[in-house]
Amino acid sequence: MNALLEVRSLRAGYGAVQVLHGFDMRVNEGEVAVILGANGAGKTTTMRAISGMIQRKGSIVFDGEPITRTPPHEIVRMGIAQVPQGRGTFTDLSVADNLRAGAYVHKGIHIESDMRGWYDVFPRLSERREQKAGSLSGGEQQMLAIARALMSKPRLLLCDEPSLGLAPIITQELFAILQRLNTENGLTILVVEQNANLAVKIAHSVFVLETGSIVASGTADEIANDDAVRKAYLGY
Amino acid sequence: MGQLLQYILNGLAKGSIYSLIALGLVVIYRGTGHLNFAQGEMALFATFGAWWIHDHGVPLLFAITLAAALAFVGGGVIEFGLIRPAGKKSPFAVVVVTIGLFQALNSLSGLLFQGAGTGLPFGTLFPNKPNDFFRLPGDAIWRYENVGVLASVLAITGILFALFQKTKVGLAMRMVANNPDSAKLSGVSTTRILMLSWGISALIGAIGGALVAGINTNVNLATMFGVFLLASAAATLGGLDSPLGAVVGGLSLGVVESLVSNYPKDWWASSYVGADTSVAVAFLIILVVLLVRPAGLFGSSRVERV
Repeated sequence: MNALLEVRSLRAGYGAVQVLHGFDMRVNEGEVAVILGANGAGKTTTMRAISGMIQRKGSIVFDGEPITRTPPHEIVRMGIAQVPQGRGTFTDLSVADNLRAGAYVHKGIHIESDMRGWYDVFPRLSERREQKAGSLSGGEQQMLAIARALMSKPRLLLCDEPSLGLAPIITQELFAILQRLNTENGLTILVVEQNANLAVKIAHSVFVLETGSIVASGTADEIANDDAVRKAYLGY
Repeated sequence: MGQLLQYILNGLAKGSIYSLIALGLVVIYRGTGHLNFAQGEMALFATFGAWWIHDHGVPLLFAITLAAALAFVGGGVIEFGLIRPAGKKSPFAVVVVTIGLFQALNSLSGLLFQGAGTGLPFGTLFPNKPNDFFRLPGDAIWRYENVGVLASVLAITGILFALFQKTKVGLAMRMVANNPDSAKLSGVSTTRILMLSWGISALIGAIGGALVAGINTNVNLATMFGVFLLASAAATLGGLDSPLGAVVGGLSLGVVESLVSNYPKDWWASSYVGADTSVAVAFLIILVVLLVRPAGLFGSSRVERV
């Protein structure tokens, strides 16, 4: 299988505090990969390191190109879109402008037709297209954040705890959409989750992150059958 | 009635200039959350520049245009060379740098332009002979110059709003203003947008400075002090992150200033209450508005559901 994202001895942190202590990770093209971990394990830091939002050391290779020193606005152009934790919509902008913002790396004519495409996938957004994003419910904002990221036509979608603060039924709907994006559009997705059960159900491969290091990894089945991991993260 | 109309019209011309300088403040504040204390002196320096170019035989309109274009570049250079390095240290460092810049630009103006202290004659772009005015009902007159200043400011404001709302660069500026992290993650080079914001801010400041100097027919080292004070008040009144607020704030402060400095004279024939009182009254109004609406008239006290 073709590795779309290959991470080697990734180290990153904030100022003098190192959060990630050098781990390897590989996401194959067409897969859904999930990073599980508790609060403070370094999940968000991993995402921010991949999208270039923080200083990082080691090697990150996307589709054969090293991006360890590439600034975030160029990484988007290469085809990695991140849905940051806590939604990351432009709250003062209308829903429609949020989608246009997502397509910032693209030129003109296809943008409006792309928007119509995502309105079909997320009908609630279509109803609210002239409303300010900040006035949407938490679930709608998360959908908008994902749609916004998709407008950049990514090959790899990074989702940082999409279920955070959402009702269980909305979370289920959300994961169903992520799964559809993977199976129908062939989108490669890397999801960070604390809420492991749903995530593992749609995952092909799983990484377990503890205090900045990957302590277990494997296919979703292997991880679900690993007693220690199952007890710690899946709760049964 | 005619008197009231007269004072309002006079106030609108001055107020439109406050709006322009306030807009410059807002453009920078939206991008970085920094209040640029040097906004007035950047405008002053550019106005002296326009004077200098005009003094070398270039027609005034072109001299101002050229000075504004140079100010645009200068604003970008200031962001890149001073503000950005300071911002990496701390937000307070930026405040100190803009205050230092205020001092430096004022002193540099005095040093470079002979006679800047006492004032240099500055022409106006609009007809301002004693009988250049429209006659309005109730014996009010509307001077061509005031009409011209107001129209210029409204035109520039219109162009700015079109830039913000209708162009891709404007979208990027709104993205950076609202959520810098998500802007980066959507492919916006935030550093370039900030440089552009400083450039635009300096450019509209230069035009504002030239309009003030035109009304005063003179530019000196103190020209922008009062204007900047009122403009920053206007920006605060409107809500520091709202361009519309800056415009409304500037125009209304101009009108208030005009009314307060004129009516007491009419009513009590008193010279105790005058132009200086108007500044106090303007700030009193701001105080009351901010007590009721801490984010200003149009500022976003962000509406967010979680």
